[in-house]
Amino acid sequence: MNAQGFPASLVETLSMLMVLTSVATLEIRRLRMSAIAYSLQALLLVALLLSFAALNPALYGWAAVALLTKAIIIPWFLFRYIGSREAQEEKPLIGFGPSVVVAVLLMVGFYRLTHSQFGLLVPTALAHQEVLRTNLAVASTVFALGLYCVLTRRDAVKTVIGLCLLENGVHLSLVSLAPELPETALFGVATEVVVTVYLLLYVIAGIRREFGTTDTLRLRELRW
Amino acid sequence: MSEQVSTMASALPAAAFLVPFAAGAIVLSSRRLPSWFWQGVSVLASAVTLAAGVWMALATVQGIVLTGWGNELRVDALSALLVVVIGGVGFLACVYSLRYVLPGLRARVGAEAAQRRLPVFYGLLLWFIATMVWGCVTNNLIMLFVAVEATTLASGLLVAFYWDRRALEAGYKYLMLLTIGITFALLGCVLIYAQAAATGELGGGQALHISQVRRVAHLFPARTALLTVALLVIGFGTKAGIAPFHPWLPDAHAEAPTPISVLLSGVMIKMAVYALARTTSVFFPSWPQLTVFAVALGSFTMVLGIVVAFTQDDLKRLLAYSSVSQIGYVVAGVGLGTYLGCYGGLFHLVNHAVAKGLLFMCAGAVVYATGARRMSDLGGLASRMPVTSACFVVGALTIAGLPPLSGFMSKLTIYLALARAGLWWAVAIAVLASLLTLAVLVRAASAVFWGAPRAAVATLEAREVPLAMWGPMLILAGVSLLLGLYPRVVFPLVDGAARVLALIGR
Repeated sequence: MNAQGFPASLVETLSMLMVLTSVATLEIRRLRMSAIAYSLQALLLVALLLSFAALNPALYGWAAVALLTKAIIIPWFLFRYIGSREAQEEKPLIGFGPSVVVAVLLMVGFYRLTHSQFGLLVPTALAHQEVLRTNLAVASTVFALGLYCVLTRRDAVKTVIGLCLLENGVHLSLVSLAPELPETALFGVATEVVVTVYLLLYVIAGIRREFGTTDTLRLRELRW
Repeated sequence: MSEQVSTMASALPAAAFLVPFAAGAIVLSSRRLPSWFWQGVSVLASAVTLAAGVWMALATVQGIVLTGWGNELRVDALSALLVVVIGGVGFLACVYSLRYVLPGLRARVGAEAAQRRLPVFYGLLLWFIATMVWGCVTNNLIMLFVAVEATTLASGLLVAFYWDRRALEAGYKYLMLLTIGITFALLGCVLIYAQAAATGELGGGQALHISQVRRVAHLFPARTALLTVALLVIGFGTKAGIAPFHPWLPDAHAEAPTPISVLLSGVMIKMAVYALARTTSVFFPSWPQLTVFAVALGSFTMVLGIVVAFTQDDLKRLLAYSSVSQIGYVVAGVGLGTYLGCYGGLFHLVNHAVAKGLLFMCAGAVVYATGARRMSDLGGLASRMPVTSACFVVGALTIAGLPPLSGFMSKLTIYLALARAGLWWAVAIAVLASLLTLAVLVRAASAVFWGAPRAAVATLEAREVPLAMWGPMLILAGVSLLLGLYPRVVFPLVDGAARVLALIGR
């Protein structure tokens, strides 16, 4: 890997936009708009992978997999489920203000962590490349925001969108952690995300019919 | 680890999971055919898996390692042991389901919808078995993760199969929690791969092969190794139901149709323990301090599971919490890393698969006969369902670890292993948890089978279940007794499997 002709500033801009779209996906309460923000983020992921492909041509394959599964199929599932309804998310447990603070703290924290401790995670020559450290910080932030979304949002559909965010973070982190990963393995991982989202939305459709709501706090048939 | 293992290319590892997978596809695509066709294909395909497992076991006890597709599939004694358990319990669960599933489904959704959904049940059941076997025979780190997640996906709709409020809630939690948990395992697997590749000792795709990674694990940086183990414990531990990652387990195991509960509690969580042991054991020789952590985790799981089980009124939930507790014994034993610990843990894995499968089948028989699951609604069934009640007692005493049943042998081995390692506190906790288990299960048995019959439920008209249901129960009870009286029957296989894992002090 050499940095010759590598569009570093492009990567930085795209990374920043990745985090912004994650926060938007997390915070927008109209489910349609949130799904649109997620789709934008998936496209950014593909763009990022393409720009990293200047360093490592194997990533063109990854970008293709991400485009197909994360930017086309999953948004299609989400929009098909949400439909044309003016669906508003159930009120989240933690509101807008604190969530933005959490997002900023996560970003700063991961940035510092990956720049001081990168060798801990990736004990290879990659550890010396600034751009991959930043990438790992962004990936971890997106992952953590996804987890935060699943934990604090009450709406089942929103938790699925959070799960997608989390998986996007994982996908992006692999660029820094294991860029030589064979495509078959990556394809297996990406396919499972698609199937998971499909099954979850299928079950949630059943929940909506039986419970009349997708508020996870009202799912309380099973305790202890 | 003996270096002079002889490997042999074989079609068996691939056949063991491709046959049920293909059979599942056939069932799902032939939904117009009558139900005996789906059921016949299911029983046949799971029997093939069992046969392939036994065949592979016979080869591996002679010290041969079977490989397939280059080195992508690899079956040593440990893998063979798991395939035999999955195939055996899977086959009996298929037989049990022949008479169990349709009546329960008809009562919930009506005759016509039940007929429509039955092939989905059998198709997914076969895929569930296939993905579990795949995880146990693969030698590829990332494919191991993919297989473990695939078991979640195959069983997700089975957990929610009855499609009522409780089942849907359980299904949602199951899919969501396990997917998030398992993502941590993906990161752990990727880190192992990245570190193995970084050592520069393994060329090409070899850094993905678990059997190769073991040889270079001592070169990994210590802190990275610890982080990796933590990620794997969260990931595969969630799937295995290790406390505190267990909250999905009682919901899913209790709400799923009984044949699926048998598979979830009997083998799926074992397969996750297998994945955990397979991946983390590469670190044990270099970082023996990890073993104390594993034993502590196991002890915590034992106590928490059984204490919560005490508060349950629902029979199936009680059994599910008991599974949490018992998986703690397996983790403590295998996590100890010594030969004796691994032997005890793996032997207990087999015994628990047999006995918990048996107990869930008995609980299913009670539901089948009375339609009730709550212990406070049941009572006095012993005279009306003699086979079921006798089988339940055998299962309960096995789990509690009373001689002469098989659970006694494996638990005793685990106690001895813990004592030899000097972890007396863990011995005390393990014995205490066993006594609590005995109390919980005896209380449950007496409430359901001997207590005074309650008027609310039609326990008075209850009759013994059909042969297709009590047959598998009797077989499992017999196996439990056999393994207690003659543990030598499985000794060669469990011994071989323990040798694969145990790397400390040998």
